[in-house]
Amino acid sequence: MDIFGYLEGMASQHGPSGHEGPVSQWMAEWFRPLTDSVEIDPLYNVIACKKATVATPDGSPAPKVLLCAHQDEIALMVSDILPDGTLRMGQVGGVDPRILPAGVVKVHASLSGEILTGVVGAVPPHLLSDADRKSNYKREDLFVDLGLSHEAVRQKVAIGDLITLCGPATKLLNDRCAAKTMDDRACVGVLLEAAERLQRMQHMCDVYFVATSQEEVGCKGAAVAAYTVDPDLAVVLDVSHATIPASRPDTTVPLDAPAATYGPFIQHKLLEKLKKTAGEHHIKLNTEHATSRTGTDTDNVQVARAGIPCVLIDLPLKYMHTTVELLDMNVMKECGRLLSHFLCDIDERWDEDLWS
Amino acid sequence: MELKQLCEMQGISGREEPVRMAIYHECVEKLGEENVTIDKMGNVIAHKAGKNPDAPHVMLTAHMDEVGLMVINATDDGLLRVRAIGGIDPRVLVSKRVRVGYDVPGKDGKEEKKAISGVIGAMAIHQQSAADRKNVLPIDQLFVDIGAKDKDEALRYAPAGTPVTFDTPYTPFGDGLLLCKAADDRVGCYNMLRLLDAEVSGDTDFVFTCQEEVGCRGAAGAAFRLMPDIAIALEGTTANDAGDMPEVSKVCKVGQGVAISFMDNASIAQPEMFAEMMNVAKACGAAHQVKMSVSGGNEGGVMQRTGMGVRTCVLSVPCRYIHSPSTVCALSDVEAQYQLAKAYLEK
Repeated sequence: MDIFGYLEGMASQHGPSGHEGPVSQWMAEWFRPLTDSVEIDPLYNVIACKKATVATPDGSPAPKVLLCAHQDEIALMVSDILPDGTLRMGQVGGVDPRILPAGVVKVHASLSGEILTGVVGAVPPHLLSDADRKSNYKREDLFVDLGLSHEAVRQKVAIGDLITLCGPATKLLNDRCAAKTMDDRACVGVLLEAAERLQRMQHMCDVYFVATSQEEVGCKGAAVAAYTVDPDLAVVLDVSHATIPASRPDTTVPLDAPAATYGPFIQHKLLEKLKKTAGEHHIKLNTEHATSRTGTDTDNVQVARAGIPCVLIDLPLKYMHTTVELLDMNVMKECGRLLSHFLCDIDERWDEDLWS
Repeated sequence: MELKQLCEMQGISGREEPVRMAIYHECVEKLGEENVTIDKMGNVIAHKAGKNPDAPHVMLTAHMDEVGLMVINATDDGLLRVRAIGGIDPRVLVSKRVRVGYDVPGKDGKEEKKAISGVIGAMAIHQQSAADRKNVLPIDQLFVDIGAKDKDEALRYAPAGTPVTFDTPYTPFGDGLLLCKAADDRVGCYNMLRLLDAEVSGDTDFVFTCQEEVGCRGAAGAAFRLMPDIAIALEGTTANDAGDMPEVSKVCKVGQGVAISFMDNASIAQPEMFAEMMNVAKACGAAHQVKMSVSGGNEGGVMQRTGMGVRTCVLSVPCRYIHSPSTVCALSDVEAQYQLAKAYLEK
């Protein structure tokens, strides 16, 4: 799969939580040639199914595996129109106000149907007190400048209109890449990489690839998708913090290899199975802990219906929730390779020894 | 040259060479090699004889350099340590794209080189403490990430001294506005290149200066060399006119014409010249405004105090978010600066 081509495409899509309509259509087209069926549900989850290619030896139904990676993104919204036509911002998901000053954004103007370019402005430093100069700007202090008069803005933009961040895919050294929305569309890319590999492999399970919605506002899409698919087990893919100079000990994973989470929300035997698969295929797999909440779709999928055993694969990412989220494209490929082999290792006896 | 080309060109203070050579060649094309000099500071000086021998000798400046960053070292894990060249509020650097190094065409025995991409990241919001959220990240805690795996690799691609510029595509937006980097002062360079065609009244030296952003060091030497009667700086200046800015804090207004300064932090405009400039603006119909607040400094200051003194005036294009990756100005103001300077030079 052309990973960079996919990342360039995904970074140009706009799909804030709850507004994944256009991005879900775009995602569906990627899954269509690789799967047997693709549907978009009422919450904009993209559910693509690839049926088992070999029957179980005992004739039992194929195990159903749910794969989740979220397609929604953090964003902002118009909360006020100021007298000079600039906009005040509210947020959709956790946007770090530190990334905003002098940033470029897109305002999705509902009244005119246009996507307008805006610049985030602030009171300049020489007009601030010494104390204020040492503090970061708060979102409430910043504004979006559309370069339009108050009247023009009023004709185009309504309170509540969405504002998305800009961060095109930028290729760096060593096959590393920075873009907005790597969290978590890069993991949807991992699903696609795995789906492409499965074209040349035999698997006994039915695989449900789901690009979930509304993860950033409480993993809501995944809860619904898990109900709909009713899987036997699930693999969730999400990004995880990679190490940077300011990182505190035991809070990050290295950038250069996939990782898997352990902790109460993760079925430990399934995790052992994932590690075994990784070992057999010489895939380096780091681990990280989550003492309860994982902050991913896992939190809702695990307790969907009567309960679903989950594992969580982590794609390391630097600078999460910025417009320069940075990862190693080779690690995306390794995650896809790991996932495809893991799916091939799921047979009718997958749950024989889960609880001993 | 097109404004897009000039704004996207790279040239931090002291490392203006890409801009300098492009401007030099265009000056030579228009005025002939004998009239164009690169001086000892790296300024480009283009001379044009006036049609009226009694008219004063004019020096016109626009600075080629832009604010940016410079690599000073790398961390063990391959991140570039940088320092600001010129006045940059570190708050505008977080989560931005940059270009590291310059594109060097492979000719004249030089090895072809390409600038590489980099990003300035910061700790994710999930991992920040209350203090992290509040305190501004100083430049020594901001790193340029080019994807290098270790210190050696990072410094091989970007040795100490490598210039770093913002990576902002030239983007027209809104109602006739422009979003770009380095509008301060490529707009002045753009207009001065156009003014090379003016029917100048007095002998005129068009000086494309270097190192304005680190203390107007290029203009000082050029003014000393030329000892003009009159000096005019074509600048980009802070506007402070957007958002909930109190009226008293506004410096000038984007879209309201070229800003004529009566005073800034570096100089007081020579009053008769200021009055004359206002009259010329009215007569030629160039949209203009008086810079309302004493703010910023520029080459007017050093030129004024050169030799036995020079009469100066500053004509600025109002810029929002100046010295950031996303400067905003109005194309109509760029045009007004050109019209007024042309009318003054031809008077």
